[in-house]
Amino acid sequence: MIQRQIRGAVGVLGALGVATVLVLHWMVFFWVPTESTMGVVQRIFYIHVPAWWIAFLAFGLVALCSAVYLWLGDERLDRAAVASAEAGMIFTTIGLLTGPLWGRVAWGTWWEWEPRLTLALILWFIYLGYFLVRRSTVNPEQGKRFAAVVGIIGVLDIPLIHVSVTWLRSLHPQAVILSAENPMNLDGSMGATIGVGLLAFTLVFASLFLARYTVGGYELELDLRDATSGNTQGAEA
Amino acid sequence: MDRKWFSRWTTALVLGVLILQASPLWAQAGTVLGRQTLGRAYWHVFAAYAIVWLFVLGWLISIVRRLRRVEERLGTE
Repeated sequence: MIQRQIRGAVGVLGALGVATVLVLHWMVFFWVPTESTMGVVQRIFYIHVPAWWIAFLAFGLVALCSAVYLWLGDERLDRAAVASAEAGMIFTTIGLLTGPLWGRVAWGTWWEWEPRLTLALILWFIYLGYFLVRRSTVNPEQGKRFAAVVGIIGVLDIPLIHVSVTWLRSLHPQAVILSAENPMNLDGSMGATIGVGLLAFTLVFASLFLARYTVGGYELELDLRDATSGNTQGAEA
Repeated sequence: MDRKWFSRWTTALVLGVLILQASPLWAQAGTVLGRQTLGRAYWHVFAAYAIVWLFVLGWLISIVRRLRRVEERLGTE
């Protein structure tokens, strides 16, 4: 019953996500005006920022689920953490690839070892470690616990990424949406487009996260059934 | 009121408002910013959007493949 409800939610969120993505593309390519100093390359901003928002949200969920998993030991929380970590890896990769495409035109270079970019790359490696640690132990339960610790420690990098542009000398543009002094310092149409972008990415993330979580549940059920039937056959023999 | 009728008209209204609000890129033709749309920057924008949807599609395909494997396992039992 619950699985059926989740499947329904995946369908609804997925359909809404696709519709919002189509609206986003129309807004980006036909509606929003071109930014006056950076030109057309600024349109990358409408996917770059939502990609990082999802990466941070996903890794936040990983940390939360991992912490509660270590406390309660509920397998569902570990499954949610894994589904979220996969999303986090994908959207961090997207953020790390779309940024240089903008930087090549705006800065004249693909990459700079400046604080925000370096910390973002470290975040990617931390969550790569999350998956490596899971598979590196003989006992899978121990691997899950070690990975949960990595997931909790890794999330500490996110606030550092956020404050790096204000606390440290950084080449990366200052925050325009979550700026403490001047929040949402954007033209109205640009603000609306980034809003639709954030909504579209959130819906896509929510649908795929739920789908991945549900499939993980089926896999676990089958593994447990196989293990139980194997034990029963062994006992009968 | 019929629910289907309501949702159709709401969608049509939202799309209508969006279209009326449109100030398309071609309105900037002939300006410095308009000319940039044909430059190298345009391909960077195209590549960035392609990367996003390739990665998301890749994740979707991996989830569908996992689901197929689960269905195969259920079919053999």
